[in-house]
Amino acid sequence: MNGWLVAAAVLTAGGLGPCLWAGSRGTAGRRVAAQNMATLLLCLDFLLLAQGYGRPSYVDLALVTCVLGPAGTLVFVRLLAEELHDEPEGGPPGARLLTPVTLVATPATVLPLCVATGPGRAMAKLLVIGVLLGLGATVTTRALRHG
Amino acid sequence: MADTALVTLTLLFVAAAAGAAVLTRDPARQAVVLSLLGLGLALLFTVLQAPDVGLSQLGVGAAVTPLMILLTVRKVRRRRKRDG
Amino acid sequence: MTGRVRRWALAAGLAGTAALMVAAGTGLPRFGGDQHPYGARAVAASLRQQTANTISSVNFDQRALDTLGEESILFGSVLGTVVLLRQTRDEHRVRPRPERVPAALRRYGAGLLPVTLLIGLYIVAHGQLSPGGGFQGGVVIATALHLLYVGADYRALERIRPLGLFELVDGSGEAAYVLLGGAGLLAGSAYLANVLPHGTFNTMASGGTVPLLNAAVGLEVASAVVVLLAHFLDQAIEITDNRKAHR
Repeated sequence: MNGWLVAAAVLTAGGLGPCLWAGSRGTAGRRVAAQNMATLLLCLDFLLLAQGYGRPSYVDLALVTCVLGPAGTLVFVRLLAEELHDEPEGGPPGARLLTPVTLVATPATVLPLCVATGPGRAMAKLLVIGVLLGLGATVTTRALRHG
Repeated sequence: MADTALVTLTLLFVAAAAGAAVLTRDPARQAVVLSLLGLGLALLFTVLQAPDVGLSQLGVGAAVTPLMILLTVRKVRRRRKRDG
Repeated sequence: MTGRVRRWALAAGLAGTAALMVAAGTGLPRFGGDQHPYGARAVAASLRQQTANTISSVNFDQRALDTLGEESILFGSVLGTVVLLRQTRDEHRVRPRPERVPAALRRYGAGLLPVTLLIGLYIVAHGQLSPGGGFQGGVVIATALHLLYVGADYRALERIRPLGLFELVDGSGEAAYVLLGGAGLLAGSAYLANVLPHGTFNTMASGGTVPLLNAAVGLEVASAVVVLLAHFLDQAIEITDNRKAHR
């Protein structure tokens, strides 16, 4: 039994599951907010899996997710602009959750992984992913809330 | 143990996302569910130890497929609005 | 044939397929086992060819001809889409209005473009070592350019996207793969044989022709996706048909 894999399983069931639930019902804004949250959690999931399987090269999946995830969300924001415009002031309810979740979950995942990896290039890669996730979450949240 | 649980959970996620994508009728909203299905498939390939395939799925499903679907929806809607 | 007969024919066909699938499934190795006859041989061959990523060794060395087929399918389907989505005589172009984009989003798009491009190049260049390769990296590179569309607007993307050049690179990538295969014949071996020195295991210079074929696929896929999306974007944003004028 491997703690990292247990954490990944918990994140999949408790994080991605609710995202799918929120993403398959309700207004377009709520769905896009859920999709955005799912890319963030998936990226953290990949980091945990890479450590849990003992395969440092799997970190590349997280690296790609942390740049393509926000890009995908911005595609939805641009092309669903009319539908997102009808959202109440402050954007869809899910959009408000993203920043606090990012601020808590990203360091809570990346920092223990940094401790486990030790200093070096692998740790620099983890930190870059963490920073890119933070930037992506900030920008997509703002874009979602201001349509 | 954790490994079997991960494979089972991810399979369930993919099945649920695929079902939700079929049951969503509006194409623009369907694109969002389809994107979630793509993320689930990338995770499934990874827990089955096929990260190369996972990376392909991620690359195509994250931004390119939603962009193509939504651009098509926009073109069709624009034409319908003008004709209707 | 009446509807009823058709349904029976369909049911018989489906039952036959299901029976064959189940019969084939019983002959498979157990799920999740660590013994697999093909896997063991593929891993041994990739170690012999000094390629750390066995999947790349299978795709670009042991079964390189299959990948040529896949690459040609992408090439052909993009070509078909270009023909279908071309601007016809009864359509005309309207310049889109510039979009008003928040400054933060604009800065994010401009800043992330080079980062994403770099990640794409990294994925292409490390195909022989870690998960990824020409296809995966090529798609990331193509997505990077479209950050200009979501971070600014279509006019900004058009300025840095000389479509003719991308069409040329698309064809060149496909041609490079075909010609690299010919190098095997010139060296007195088989088509697409890995005839280059295999290098040192688990370094950038390893795998012989694998990194070169990866680069060719990377060029082809990145420009194919850019050309494909260009025609979708043109149709959705710039091109309108004149049917109203005829009425």
